[in-house]
Amino acid sequence: MKNTENSIPRDVFDHLVDLAAFALGEDEKNYLHDQMNHQLNAIQELEAIPLPDDLPTTTHGVEYGDDGKPALRNDEWVACTNTQEILTQAPELQDGYIVVPDIPTKELE
Amino acid sequence: MTNLVNCSALELAEMVRARQISAEEILDETLTRIVEVDGRPGALDTAPAVDDEKKVHAFITHTEELARSQAQEVDAKIAKGEDAGLLAGVPFTVKDIFCVRGTPSTAASRILANFTAPYTATPVERLIAAGGVMLGKVNLDEFTYGSSSESSAFQPSPRNPWDLSKVPGGSSGGSAAAVAAGEGALSLGTDTAGSIRQPAAFCGVVGMKPTYGRVSRYGLIAFGSSLDCPGPIARNVRDAALMLQVIAGADRADATAATQAVPDYLREIERGVKGMRIGLSPDYFRITFPDPQSGEYVEQALPAHMQEAVWKAAELYRSMGAEIIENVPMPNTRFGIPVYFVISRVEAASNLHRFDGVKYGYRTKQAVADLNEMYRRSRGEGFGPQPKLRILMGMYVSAAQYSEQYYQRALKVRTLIRHDFENAFDPQGPYRLDALLTPTTPTTAFGMADVYGDSVMMQYADQLTVPANHAGVPGISIPAGFSSDGLPIGIQLLGPDFSEAQLLRVARAYEMATEKEEWREKKPSLLEGK
Amino acid sequence: MSVEYEAVIGLETHIQLNTTTKIFCSCKADSWDDAPNSNICPVCTGLPGVLPVLNRKVVEKAVLLAAAMHAEIQVLSFFDRKNYFYPDLPKGYQISQYDHSLARRGYLELPIPASADPNGKGYVRAVHIHKLHIEEDAGKTKKERNRRYVDFNRCGVPLVEMVTEPDLRTAEEAGQYLIRLRQLLRWLGISEGDMEKGNLRCDANVSIREKGSSVLNTKTEIKNVNSIDAVKDAIQKEIERQIREVEKGHAIKPWTLDWDDNAGVLRMMRSKETEADYRYFHEPDLLPLEISAEWQADILEGLPELPLERRARFMRDLQIPEYDADILTADHDLADYFERTIGLYKGDVKKISNWLMNDVLRMRNEWGMSMSEMKLTPAYLAELVQLVDEGKINITTAKNLLPKIQESGKNPRTLVEELGLAVVSDDAAIRAICAKVVAQNPVEVKSYREGKETLIGWFVGQVMRELRGKADPKLTQQILKELLK
Repeated sequence: MKNTENSIPRDVFDHLVDLAAFALGEDEKNYLHDQMNHQLNAIQELEAIPLPDDLPTTTHGVEYGDDGKPALRNDEWVACTNTQEILTQAPELQDGYIVVPDIPTKELE
Repeated sequence: MTNLVNCSALELAEMVRARQISAEEILDETLTRIVEVDGRPGALDTAPAVDDEKKVHAFITHTEELARSQAQEVDAKIAKGEDAGLLAGVPFTVKDIFCVRGTPSTAASRILANFTAPYTATPVERLIAAGGVMLGKVNLDEFTYGSSSESSAFQPSPRNPWDLSKVPGGSSGGSAAAVAAGEGALSLGTDTAGSIRQPAAFCGVVGMKPTYGRVSRYGLIAFGSSLDCPGPIARNVRDAALMLQVIAGADRADATAATQAVPDYLREIERGVKGMRIGLSPDYFRITFPDPQSGEYVEQALPAHMQEAVWKAAELYRSMGAEIIENVPMPNTRFGIPVYFVISRVEAASNLHRFDGVKYGYRTKQAVADLNEMYRRSRGEGFGPQPKLRILMGMYVSAAQYSEQYYQRALKVRTLIRHDFENAFDPQGPYRLDALLTPTTPTTAFGMADVYGDSVMMQYADQLTVPANHAGVPGISIPAGFSSDGLPIGIQLLGPDFSEAQLLRVARAYEMATEKEEWREKKPSLLEGK
Repeated sequence: MSVEYEAVIGLETHIQLNTTTKIFCSCKADSWDDAPNSNICPVCTGLPGVLPVLNRKVVEKAVLLAAAMHAEIQVLSFFDRKNYFYPDLPKGYQISQYDHSLARRGYLELPIPASADPNGKGYVRAVHIHKLHIEEDAGKTKKERNRRYVDFNRCGVPLVEMVTEPDLRTAEEAGQYLIRLRQLLRWLGISEGDMEKGNLRCDANVSIREKGSSVLNTKTEIKNVNSIDAVKDAIQKEIERQIREVEKGHAIKPWTLDWDDNAGVLRMMRSKETEADYRYFHEPDLLPLEISAEWQADILEGLPELPLERRARFMRDLQIPEYDADILTADHDLADYFERTIGLYKGDVKKISNWLMNDVLRMRNEWGMSMSEMKLTPAYLAELVQLVDEGKINITTAKNLLPKIQESGKNPRTLVEELGLAVVSDDAAIRAICAKVVAQNPVEVKSYREGKETLIGWFVGQVMRELRGKADPKLTQQILKELLK
């Protein structure tokens, strides 16, 4: 993308990669960074749209009136009968626990 | 004997209920068709083979055993004189973005390649409960992120049955291709920006995106949660209506599934369009996109053959007694894609957070020093470029310092897009439309690899379909002839919230009016003589 | 000369609501005794494709707490996703409420007892909260030999999060806040409020400043503290650490600290969590939560008079001492019991308070039951004390009767009759015994008549012994004096 004004600085990009928890090769980084800048250019169009101050945001297009709104759930216990089936999907399982590498901590003096 | 694979779902179910044919016979014939046309299913780490270009490759997973037992169950019910359901013996496929208990549910991604779902998505459950026979899980863009199905981690990706050098569209490409090629009468797809309607248009079949919330999303591996709609793909309008009948309705597992009663979609489907107001909007006859070289916005009229299909349909409707309202302004249509770039990415980035190698799916095989490295490697190796791109973009535009500039703004522009539709459909408003008639796509199916890799241009293929997702309104794409190079053209009908019955009726009227036209006789070259 | 410091403390509390099921799925909320990963389902383990469905009871309990905290309940609130990676968070985001929470503002007027006041007088500290919201709990992890073991049972347990303003000044005040909060939760019946079991959790934000200053300095956040004593201990240690650092000229860094209760030390978490950008956005899988006026009114019909209000009323209207009022309002049952008792009793309410604090509570604790389960009902207690007041039984008899009432469930008057415990005040009966005693003890009678009038006590004792302690002592003395003239 030639438009540098609308580009995401490399350090911001690297921070996002970190936040997204991706281990990436250089080529992949370059492709993704380039595509992001390209997309950002498409998004910039939004900034030019005049918006009335009182314009509400839309979170779901459809409006849920009282006739269409599902009721909240009653507080009734229904036991799941195939918990083992869920657990067998785990890459590492021991004594019923799902096992992952540790998160290190450090003691203060 | 009738060629069962070409029969409609309605015909099949009727024949099964009338004991003229068994569900197992239908299944056998459909499996034979699949063997003939589909070729090898998509798989991870496959080298391309020359033969791949001659087949459809709709599938990722065949569920023949499951299908067999479902067919036998239907036949057993029929034998006992029990009600075997609206879809008795009708073979269908499921886009592999839905969880189905006991089957691999991959989202066409390496990160879920080894995931076997422990539960079944509500719409799939309803299809099976209605007597449907599930043939398998069909291919799509990885996590639905694309408009060509090429980004699947499971290669070869599906091809367009009308021209195997073209894409079937996406992301429900496997669904549309399967239905077009007679591999099942129906397919369950999802539409977040046009992912049902666009591939339906590319493959010459019917695809409907229902109103947001009309069909439960429970079990649909989420992409853009505020936009995702499961919906039917079928070879004709009545089949789409039948399938919607089965899958629509409230679901206690989905707090956004609307509770309005589901009408009988078939009852009045053939009552025509007399007295209806059908609109045309100039904003749907052009697209606006950033030039890939300069970044400048270019406004471009749709190709003549795409426009003509719509005008021809409008004339037909007029001749059937509908009032055609021209020049309905839908000025915010062009913002659909930029808004989508923001909203869908924010939701997608969050929805894909759960794929972390902890409790299911892919975990890196490499030795790792700590948890963070496990995350980074698992996600780095497990996701393909499209999910990565969407996650990063979503993180960028929702980061605290940019959220106001992009995300909050996009939600407001979404309101403007919704207003366009409210204005057009308002019964007290200036246009009072029953339906808006538009092209489904800017072009017919493009060539394999022609657009793939350019995430922006790929996205603009959805420009005419995505506004309905923002607004939540229903839309349907139906076949409307062919381009001079023999590729299907789709036209789209959009309607107000929960107007599916009406849209299906308008769509069916077109189908009836063009029943005798020559192009209706055409079959995909792949199926010549079959 | 040395600078005097004061601490500035804010508490972030997480309260597990005692609903039957989790907040977004139908699994049990309580899995304290369950094997790891046995109380789970597709929804709370974040399987691909699942969706949350909000538990109505969670909203109702949170609304009660909001009202009790004098907070403004919002007609419309939103759920948001808080995105971060942690192995106990299966979806990679927590469904919480961010900028449009269930309730806003609120406060608790915290009485600090004399025992917790360095000046020994006691005072009131107003503690404000800026918002109250509902969210889902995460699972649990435990560490063993460089591995983390993850248990999802707790995923999706409903929580209320309440964050105080930095209004607290000492570790002791922080402790008092938690004591009062726990009392309130139990009072409302919305949470067990047990810190050891994690039903009530507390993170503390601590900073220090020169006394008298109004600046807010860099704070640290202490996590993982699981008892009120540990909260006080950890805060005290952190205040002392910060003072040491500042006096050494070091800057306080905004660390997140982990409290290790066994070792009694704070540890720094190495991850860059303090920098995290959670990228909050409205949860598209849930519709905005609407609490209509009707629904709110229905919920608040169940809102009782609050413990601190009741405590104040007891002191003000009933002239009960603070010490008594505190004990009598320790739980809702007890306060109700007290009020019902005094409603039926015609006498000094302080007497009932004494009976409750000295005898009834001890018995309740021995029997291990709640006040409402006791067979010794308020009516029976009132009657019992009334019997003493009327001189029908003496106080020793009354105390001995307490367990008998509890065992039999019979009312005190009946028991007194059945067991023949009533004071004998029949003149003729007592007169007969007195005459007998006088006749049988001529030596003592002689001494008395010769002026040793102190012997009257001995004579009364003899009569009492004959009547097994039930004789009306006044009447007995009067008759004896007559006979001995």
